[in-house]
Amino acid sequence: MDRTRPEDGQRFIEDYRRNAAHLEGHGLYDPRDEHDACGVGLVAAIDGKPRREVVAAGINALKVLWHRGAVDADGKTGDGAGIHVQIPQGFFKEHIRDTGHEPGEGRLAVGMVFLPRTDFAAQERCRCIVEAEILAFGYGIYGWRQVPIDISVIGEKANATRPEIEQILINNTKGTNARQFEIDLFIIRRRIEKQMLAESIRDFYICSLSCRSVIYKGMFLAEQLTAFYPDLLDDRFVSSFAIYHQRYSTNTFPNWWLAQPFRMIAHNGEINTLLGNMNWMRAHEPRMAHAWFGDHMQDLLPIVQPGSSDSAALDAVFEVMVRADRSVPMVKTMLMPEAWANQPSLPQDIKDLYSYCNAVMEPWDGPAAICAYGGQWAVAGMDRNGLRPMRYTITSDGLLIVGSETGMVRLDETRIVEKGRVGPGQMIAIDLRNGKLYRDREVKAMLAKERPFGKWTKSIKKLDGLIKKGADERVELDREALRRRQLAVGWTLEDLEMILHPMAEDGKEALGSMGDDTPLAVLSDQHRPLHHYFRQNFSQVTNPPIDSLRETRVMSLVTRLGNLGNILDEDESQCRLLQLASPVLSNGEFEAMRAYMGATAADVDCTFDASKGDGALREAINRIRQEAEDAVRGGAQHIILSDKATSAARIAIPMILAAGAVHSHLVRKKLRTFISLNVRSGECLDVHYFAVLIGVGATSVNAYLAQETLADRHRRGLFGALSFEEVVQRYKRAVDQGLLKIISKMGISVISSYRGGCNFEALGLSRSLVAEFFPGMPSRISGIGLNGIERKLRELHERAYGEDIAALPVGGFYRYRRGGETHAYQGALIHTLQTAVATDSYSTYKKYSEGTRKLPPVSLRDLLDFKPKRPPISVDEVESITEIRKRFVTPGMSLGALGPEAHETLNIAMNRIGAKADSGEGGEDPARFKPNANGDNPNSAIKQVASGRFGVTAEYLNNCRELEIKIAQGAKPGEGGQLMGFKVTEMIAKLRHSTPGVTLISPPPHHDIYSIEDLAQLIYDLKQINPDAKVCVKLVSRSGIGTVAAGVAKAKADVVLISGHVGGTGASPQTSIKFAGTPWEMGLSEVHQILTLNRLRHRVKLRTDGGIKTGRDVVIAALLGAEEYGVGTAALVAMGCIMVRQCHSNTCPVGVCTQDPKLRAKFEGTPERVVNLFTFIAEEVREILASLGARSLNEIIGRTDLLFQVSRGSPHLDDLDLNQILAQADPGDYPRYCTLEGRNEVPDTLDAQIIKDAQPLLVDGEKMQLAYNIRNTHRAIGARLSSEITRRYGMAGLPPAHITVRLRGSAGQSLGAFAVQGLKLEVFGDANDYVGKGLSGGLIVLRTMTASPLASHENTIMGNTVLYGATAGKLFAAGQAGERFAVRNSGAEAVVEGCGSNGCEYMTNGTVVILGPVGDNFAAGMTGGMAFVYDPEEQLPARLNGETVLLQRIETPYWEGVCRALVQEHADHTQSRWAAGLLNDWDREVGKFWQIVPKEMIGRLAEPVKREALAAASA
Amino acid sequence: MPRGLPKFVHLEKQMPEKREAEARRRDFHEIYAEFAAERAREQASRCSQCGVPFCQVHCPLHNNIPDWLMLTAEGRLEEAYEVAAATNNMPEVCGRICPQDRLCEGNCVIEKGFRSVTIGAVEKYITETAFANGWVKPPRPPRELAQSVGIIGAGPGGLAAAEELRRRGYQAHVYDRYDRVGGLLVYGIPNFKLEKTVVARREALLREGGVVFHLECEVGRDLTLTELRLRHDAVLIASGVYKARDFAVPGIGLRNIFPALDYLTASNRAGLGDTVPLFDDGTLNAAGKHVVVIGGGDTAMDCVRTAVRQGAKSVKCLYRRNRANMPGSQREVQHAEEEGVEFVWLSAPEAFLGDEAVTGVRAVRMRLGIADSSGRQAPQVIDGSHFTLEADLVIKALGFDPEDLPTLFTAPELGVTRWGTIKADFRTLMTNLDGVFAAGDIVRGASLVVWAIRDGRDAAASIHRYLKAKTAAPAAAAAE
Repeated sequence: MDRTRPEDGQRFIEDYRRNAAHLEGHGLYDPRDEHDACGVGLVAAIDGKPRREVVAAGINALKVLWHRGAVDADGKTGDGAGIHVQIPQGFFKEHIRDTGHEPGEGRLAVGMVFLPRTDFAAQERCRCIVEAEILAFGYGIYGWRQVPIDISVIGEKANATRPEIEQILINNTKGTNARQFEIDLFIIRRRIEKQMLAESIRDFYICSLSCRSVIYKGMFLAEQLTAFYPDLLDDRFVSSFAIYHQRYSTNTFPNWWLAQPFRMIAHNGEINTLLGNMNWMRAHEPRMAHAWFGDHMQDLLPIVQPGSSDSAALDAVFEVMVRADRSVPMVKTMLMPEAWANQPSLPQDIKDLYSYCNAVMEPWDGPAAICAYGGQWAVAGMDRNGLRPMRYTITSDGLLIVGSETGMVRLDETRIVEKGRVGPGQMIAIDLRNGKLYRDREVKAMLAKERPFGKWTKSIKKLDGLIKKGADERVELDREALRRRQLAVGWTLEDLEMILHPMAEDGKEALGSMGDDTPLAVLSDQHRPLHHYFRQNFSQVTNPPIDSLRETRVMSLVTRLGNLGNILDEDESQCRLLQLASPVLSNGEFEAMRAYMGATAADVDCTFDASKGDGALREAINRIRQEAEDAVRGGAQHIILSDKATSAARIAIPMILAAGAVHSHLVRKKLRTFISLNVRSGECLDVHYFAVLIGVGATSVNAYLAQETLADRHRRGLFGALSFEEVVQRYKRAVDQGLLKIISKMGISVISSYRGGCNFEALGLSRSLVAEFFPGMPSRISGIGLNGIERKLRELHERAYGEDIAALPVGGFYRYRRGGETHAYQGALIHTLQTAVATDSYSTYKKYSEGTRKLPPVSLRDLLDFKPKRPPISVDEVESITEIRKRFVTPGMSLGALGPEAHETLNIAMNRIGAKADSGEGGEDPARFKPNANGDNPNSAIKQVASGRFGVTAEYLNNCRELEIKIAQGAKPGEGGQLMGFKVTEMIAKLRHSTPGVTLISPPPHHDIYSIEDLAQLIYDLKQINPDAKVCVKLVSRSGIGTVAAGVAKAKADVVLISGHVGGTGASPQTSIKFAGTPWEMGLSEVHQILTLNRLRHRVKLRTDGGIKTGRDVVIAALLGAEEYGVGTAALVAMGCIMVRQCHSNTCPVGVCTQDPKLRAKFEGTPERVVNLFTFIAEEVREILASLGARSLNEIIGRTDLLFQVSRGSPHLDDLDLNQILAQADPGDYPRYCTLEGRNEVPDTLDAQIIKDAQPLLVDGEKMQLAYNIRNTHRAIGARLSSEITRRYGMAGLPPAHITVRLRGSAGQSLGAFAVQGLKLEVFGDANDYVGKGLSGGLIVLRTMTASPLASHENTIMGNTVLYGATAGKLFAAGQAGERFAVRNSGAEAVVEGCGSNGCEYMTNGTVVILGPVGDNFAAGMTGGMAFVYDPEEQLPARLNGETVLLQRIETPYWEGVCRALVQEHADHTQSRWAAGLLNDWDREVGKFWQIVPKEMIGRLAEPVKREALAAASA
Repeated sequence: MPRGLPKFVHLEKQMPEKREAEARRRDFHEIYAEFAAERAREQASRCSQCGVPFCQVHCPLHNNIPDWLMLTAEGRLEEAYEVAAATNNMPEVCGRICPQDRLCEGNCVIEKGFRSVTIGAVEKYITETAFANGWVKPPRPPRELAQSVGIIGAGPGGLAAAEELRRRGYQAHVYDRYDRVGGLLVYGIPNFKLEKTVVARREALLREGGVVFHLECEVGRDLTLTELRLRHDAVLIASGVYKARDFAVPGIGLRNIFPALDYLTASNRAGLGDTVPLFDDGTLNAAGKHVVVIGGGDTAMDCVRTAVRQGAKSVKCLYRRNRANMPGSQREVQHAEEEGVEFVWLSAPEAFLGDEAVTGVRAVRMRLGIADSSGRQAPQVIDGSHFTLEADLVIKALGFDPEDLPTLFTAPELGVTRWGTIKADFRTLMTNLDGVFAAGDIVRGASLVVWAIRDGRDAAASIHRYLKAKTAAPAAAAAE
C-alpha cells in the first residue's frame, strides 16, 4: 500500500474514536494510562514590567524545542504546544472599541475558550452557560471574540478535532480588585465546567479565564504557534512573563485541551503518585474550606476533574491552593518539597517549613520541571530528585530565561550575567509585583519567616522516641500454638526459611533466580494468600524508578497518624499529629503506641466465627466497616484492625481485605482523614504484604506472627549471637528497605504519597471485589471473589485446626516440591527436552511439548485454544523452518550471569540459523566480532544497552544488527541489578571496564531516560552511532504498557519487546520475581491493540518473551500480536540447565550459569542442541499453522479471533475472563504486522555536514580542523562521525585530536556521545544534557566564549548526566556540570569546576577532578576509579555518600601528580582562569583537595593512596 | 537453603564409617557406623538445594530431601526429623535399606563429577538422633473417631497406613499371620542391613499410639475377609507377596535347595532367639558349606551376605545378566564382594547335581542380546559353555509372586489380575469390593520397602476420603 499518502484526517478521527470506544469497553485500552512529557520554559522580566521581548523570546524558545515533542506522520500534527502570557489590556480594549463598545476603566478579563466546532446547538448552549454564569456573578460581558487562526499550518488530524476557538471578554462592572476578580473568575470557571459536565457537553474547554493572563495553545508544532495564532505577532502583546510548553504524548489522537500550559503551571515530567494523590484529595475535600471561597467551596469540588492527566490534576490542586491565599512559591514547596530530612546543612527554620508542609498534605511526587505563574509570582521549580533538566540564564538587562535546555533563546554572550541550573527540589522565583528575583535559598528563607513554623511543628508528637525506649518485645505463643497459627495463615517452611529468616538475619530481602514458573495465583489449586493477587506497579520509560539504595536520601517512610485538617488552612492545628519514622512496627512498638493512644483509639476484631455458614465473611466485613465508621463518628482518632483473635473457632480475615474494606468505606463516607488505620496482621510476612497493606490504605502495620516466629527461631538459637531485639530490628530494616524499593519502582519517594494509592494491578481478583474494596486498581481478567476467598479460608482453617501435624508443609512456591505448587519446568519435562535436543528427536520433543500442555494451567495462555476458521492445509504449504526460525531470539542474558561457554554457544547457534542472540548487559569481547576459524560466528546479533552501560563502546554498538535498550526486566522491573564481586572475573572485569572481584551495580533507571522524550533522545543517539542497526526497546508487561509502547513507537524505535513477568534472572529479590509485572499475554495484547488504534502497529515489530517453551506458545504469541519470540529458559535447558536456581550463588552444577572454572568444565551444551530446540519449535509452529489453514506467521499475527477461552478456571471463581485480551482493534487499511523495511530513520544532525566536510579524513586519513556555529537543536554531535571513524579505523585507530571540530553556541543534548579517539570537540558556549554519553576515547572541551564576562567556576556550562557510561576519553569543561556528573563512568578522565547532586555515582573506573562545589550524595555506589574535589569550605564531608568510598586528603605524591596533571591539562585546553589560579598557588591549594577512593579498591591499586601504605612499601 | 552456599564444589562426598569387611563378616550387626554430628552436617551442606530436586522427584515417597539436608546442615535436627517424618513413616528404615544409588542419590544433580550428596546415611542419622532425643512421638490424634479400619499385613505398607489413619483419629487394627510385627522387615531383611530393634521400636510407638495388632491371625484361616469387612468400616489388604518363584531344571527336587525367604527367615528367627529346628540341625545354616545363590536382586544379596556371616566355606552368586544389568543395588554388590562373595555373572543354572542332597550346580554361560523395545537386553545361552560349581546349599532368590488371595481369603469375589495381584483403582486404591483397599506388593508386585510405605500412605489418605464421604453422605441425606 502507499504509505506516503497521509491518512485522511477526518477518517482517522472517526476510526480512532470507534476503535478506542471498542477497546475501552472490551479491550485493554484505558485512557487513564496515557502519558506525556515535554519541554518547558519560562521567560520573565525581573522588574515585573511587561515587555514585548519577553513574549518574543518565549515564542522563539518554543521553536527550538521541537525535538522534545513528537510529530505525526503528516508532518504537521504535533502533540501540542502553547504559551501563557499576560493579557495585553490595550490590545483587547481596542478590539472592543472596534466592535463599537467603549471598554470600562478597570481590567477586563479574557476567557480563552474551546467550543464544540461542528455541533452548533451545543456551541450555542456553551455560550449561554458561560454568559449566564458570568452575569450571575454580577460581571458584564463585552462579547465574544473569534480568535484569528490559520488552519493551513495544522495537520489534517489536528484540524479534524479542532474546536471553535473564541475569547469571551468580561467587564469588571463590579469594580472588584484584581485579586477578588481573579477568585471570582476561578469560581465562575468551575461553575461553568460543572454545568457542562451536568449537561454532558463534550469538547468544551476553558484554557484560561483570568483578568491577568491568557493561554494560547493547540495541536500544532511548536514553530507554528504564531502562524496559527497571529494575535501573538501583534506588538501590543507584551508581558512580564511567558510560560511555554511543547508536549510529547504517548498517543496519536490530537486532544486539543491536553496541550499545555495549564492555568497555573506548565509541567514537564510525570506524577508517579497520581493515584494516591487523587485519592487523598478526595479524602481531603470534605474538610476543605477557605474564607475567600465562602459558600462557593462546593462549586470547586471535586478539585481534580475526572479524566485529568497528571499535569492537569497537579495544576488543579496548585490552582486551588494559590487561590486560597498561598503564594506560588509556598504551594510549590508544599506540593513538591525538597528532600530535606537528610540534609544536615539545611537551616532549622527551613526544616520547620518543610516539616509543616509535610504535616499538611502528601507531596506530589515524580519527575517534574514546572513553570508556574500566579499573579504576583512567576516560578520555575524542580522535583526532589532533579529528574528533569532546568537551566537558567540571567541577562544584564533583567531578563530571566529558564527552561529544559540552555540556548533556547539566542543571546549575545556579553549580555549574560549568570548561567545556572535549578537543582533538585529547588526553584527560582520572581516577585513580579516588587520586581525582585529570588534564588532558591532566598525564597525558602522568605517563606520560612512568614509564619512561626518552628513553633507550630512542636505540636507534632514523634512516637519513635516514646516507643523505642519502652519497647518490650514479649513473646506470647508457645510452639504448638504458634504452629497452629502458622498453619492457619498458610505459611510453609519455605516462607520461613527462604523469606523470613534472611530478612531477620541479614536485614535484607532474599534473592532468587530463574524467574517464576508457577501458576498465577488465580489458576493455582493451592492456598494462595491474598497479596499474591496484587502485582506491583513499576515505572518504565515515561518516568524513572528511583534508586532506593544509592539515592535513599530523597526518600522517606515518615508516617503521620491522626486527624488531618483542612489543607487550605495555615495554622498550628495542622501539626497536631503523631509521627512515626516508619509505618512498620514491632510488637513491642505497636503495644507502646497503642498504650499511648489510649482512649483515642478503637480496636476492631477482624475474625469471623468458623461455625457460621456461607456468607460469614461478607457479614464480618460489613460489621468491621460499621464498627470503624461508628468509632470515627464517636471521635476516635485511630482505628486498630487486628486478626489476633484467630483460634480454632474463629477464622482470620485476610488483613488486606479488611484494611481495603475499611479504608475505601471511610473514604466513601468522607471520614478517612479523621483517623489513622493501624493493622495487626498474622498473614503478613514478606515485604510485598506490607506494601499491599499500605497501598490499600493502612497507616501502620504490625506483623505480629512474623515476630512470634522470629522469637521461636531465636529461642532455638538460629540467629547465633544476635540478640532478639537486634533480630526484630533487622527484620524491620529489611521491610523498610523493601518498602522503599517497592515505592521507588513506581518512582515514588515518600510513603505518604504511596499510601492508599493502590499502586497495583489485580491479577485474578474479581472485578466487583476490586471495585468495592480497592477502587481504582485495574483488574482486567477478574477472578476470585468473596465467596471463593471464604471457601479457601475455611479449607485452610480446617487443615490448621483439624489434624495432628508435626511440621509445616515444606512449600514449593519458590522452588519445586512435590505436593507444592505446580512448576512449568518439571523434572521429567526437563529431561525429556534435553533428550530430544541431544538426540535430535522431534518425536521426543513432542512428548515434552504434550507433557507441558498436560500440566495444570500455569499461565493465561493455558486457558486458550485455537479456533480454526479455515480448513487445515498441508504442512508442506506452510513457510519453511528457516523462515520461522529467523523470528527467534534468545533474550538478554549477560556474560556474567551466564558462563562464557554458554553465552557463546547461544550466539553461535542463533547465528547459524539466522536468528538473533542478545548479548545482555556487560559488553562483549571484541575477539567475537570476527568469525571463528570453523566459520561459526560467536558475535551477538543484538547488543543490549542497559542502565549500567557496562562495556557500551562505539565499537560494541557498531558490531550488531540491532541495539536493544533494556528499560526493564521481567524478573525485576523497576529495579537495578548487581553482579556480585565473586562473579566478576578477570575477563568480565575487562569487558565491563572494571576491577576483578569488585561488585558491579546497574542502577534502577537509565540516567539518560527520565521520560519519553529522553528515550527518543537515546534512540536518536544510538541511530547516530550505528547508522544501520535497528533499535529495540524492551518493556515489561503491566497495565498501561500500550500507551508507553505507543510513545516508544513515536520515538522511532523499530522493535518493541514485551517481556512477561515470569522472565528468568541471574539474581533478584524473591518478591520482585514473584509479584511485579504481568503475563506477556496481557501486555502484548494491550500493546498490539493500542498501536493498532494509533496507526503505529505497521511501523514497529513486536517481540515478546517470558516462559515461551513450545510451538504452541509461539503461535499464541503471534495471534496476540507478536512477530518475534524470545526463548530464554528453554534454550538454557537445552544447553543443560536443570533449574537448580542457584544462579546467584555461582554454584551451577551444570556449568551454565557460573564463572567458577571447576563448574564451567561441566558445561555440556552445544550449538547443535540449541539449533535443534529452535528447529523443533519451528516445526511445531508449522504444524499448528497448517491446522489453522495459514501459510505463514504473518497471516495470523494479531488474529485473536482464532483463539477462544477453553477454561474459566476453577468453579469457585467469580469469573475469569480473557475477552479483553482477545479484543481486536480495526487496523483500517494497514496490516496488523510491521511492514517496515530497514528502520525508522531519524533526522540528520550536524554530523551529516561534518561527514561531508571530513572526507579527507575519512578517505585519506588526513588531519583536519572544522568549525561550525551550533544551536541546541544540533544533537548528538560527533556520534555519527565516530561511527564512521570506528568502522574505518577502529575505535582507537586514530591519534588523539586527529580531527578537531570547533563549535560555537549552545550544543544540543548528547554532545560527543560515544565519541572515539581521534575526535576532538571543542565548544565555545555551553551544552545541554548527556555530554560525552558513552564516551569511547574522544576528547571534549567546553569553555565560554572569549568575550563572555562569566567566571567559569560559577557558570553552569553543561547539563545533567555527563559522561554516563563513558569508557575512555577525556572531558575538560571550564564551568559547572549538572546533576549526576560522571555517573557510571568507567574509564574517562574529566575535569570540571563544580557539579550538582549525585556526582560520580556508580563510577567504576576513570579519574575525575572537580574544581568546585559538588551537590549532595556525591560518590554514591562508586566502586572504582578515583575522584578529586577542590573544597576549600569543607562542605564535601556532609555531601558525600560514604557507603562505598573513603574520603581523605591527597596523601601520596603519585596521586597528587595525577590530580595536578589533569588540572594542568584542563587549564591548557580551556584556558580556565580558575584552574590557572589553582595551579599558580598549587602548594597552598593542594591541601584543600579531597581524594575519594572506593573502599573495595584500596587493596587493589597499583599505587597506594595511604601515607602509611606508601611508607610500608618503600621500607 | 537460603543461607550459605552449597559446598559440594570443595567438599568430598563421604559415607559414615563402614566397618572393615573382615570384622563385619563375623557378625550380623549393621555395617555402617553412625555419622558423627559434625560429619553429618558437613555432608548435608553439600546439597546444592536445587530448584527442581531430582532426588525428591525420584524418591517414591517424594521426601523433601533438600529441606531436611538443609536443616541438618544447620544443626536443626529436630526440625529435620519433623520434615523427614512428614513424608515418611519410617525414615530410619529407608535410610538403611533403600537402594539410594538407584533413587535419590542416583539422581543427584551434582553426581556428575562431584559424586552425589550422601542422603540415606543422613536420613538415618537424623532419625536415630530423633529417637535418641525422644522427638519421635506416637500418633496423637486431635480427636478419636469411631470408625475403624482393618489392615491385613503388618509389613511396611500396613504399618504406614495404620499410623496415618491413627493420626487422623481412626481406630486401626492390624492383622498378621506371623508372630511378629514388621513382615519382611523382620523376617526377610538380615540384621546387618536392618537391626530388628529398629522395627521393634516402631511397633512400640504404634502400640502406644493406639494401633491394635492381631498377630498370628491369618485371614482365610482365623477369619474371613467378609467378617473383617463387617467388623471394620474399611479394610486394607497389604499382605505382600510371598510365593517364591521357581524354575524347572533337572535336580530341582534335591535336598538343600531352598527358597530365599525360608533361608532368610530361619536366619532372622535364629538371630531373634527363636527355636528354628531346620536351622538348629544345620540344614538352613550355611556354616562350613559351599553356598550358591541364584539371582541378582536385593534378596539374593541378602542371602549371600547372610551366608558369609554364617561361616560358609564359599559363597557364589549366579546371575544370568551382567553387573550393569542386575536389578539389585550396586552398593550391595560392592559390600558383598568386600565380604568375600564371588559373583558369577552371565551364568544360569542348567541342572542341580547330586544324588539326594545337592552337591553342585551345572551352569551355562550367557551373553546379552541386543536391547528389545523396553531397553532390556535378553540373555542368550552360549552353547557348550558348561561349567560346574561345588554346592552344599543352594538358595533360589528368583523373586516372589502373589499367593492366590481369593482362595486364601475365601473371598472369590475379590478381583485379581492375571498375575495374581489385586486389581485396585489406580487413584483410590480401592478393589472391586466397596470399602476394601489394597496397597503395596500385593498390588504392584514385589517391590521396594519404600514403595510399600508410599502405597500405605496413599491408601490411608484414600480411606480417609472414603470414610469422610461416607459420614457426610447420611448427614446430607438426612438434611434433604
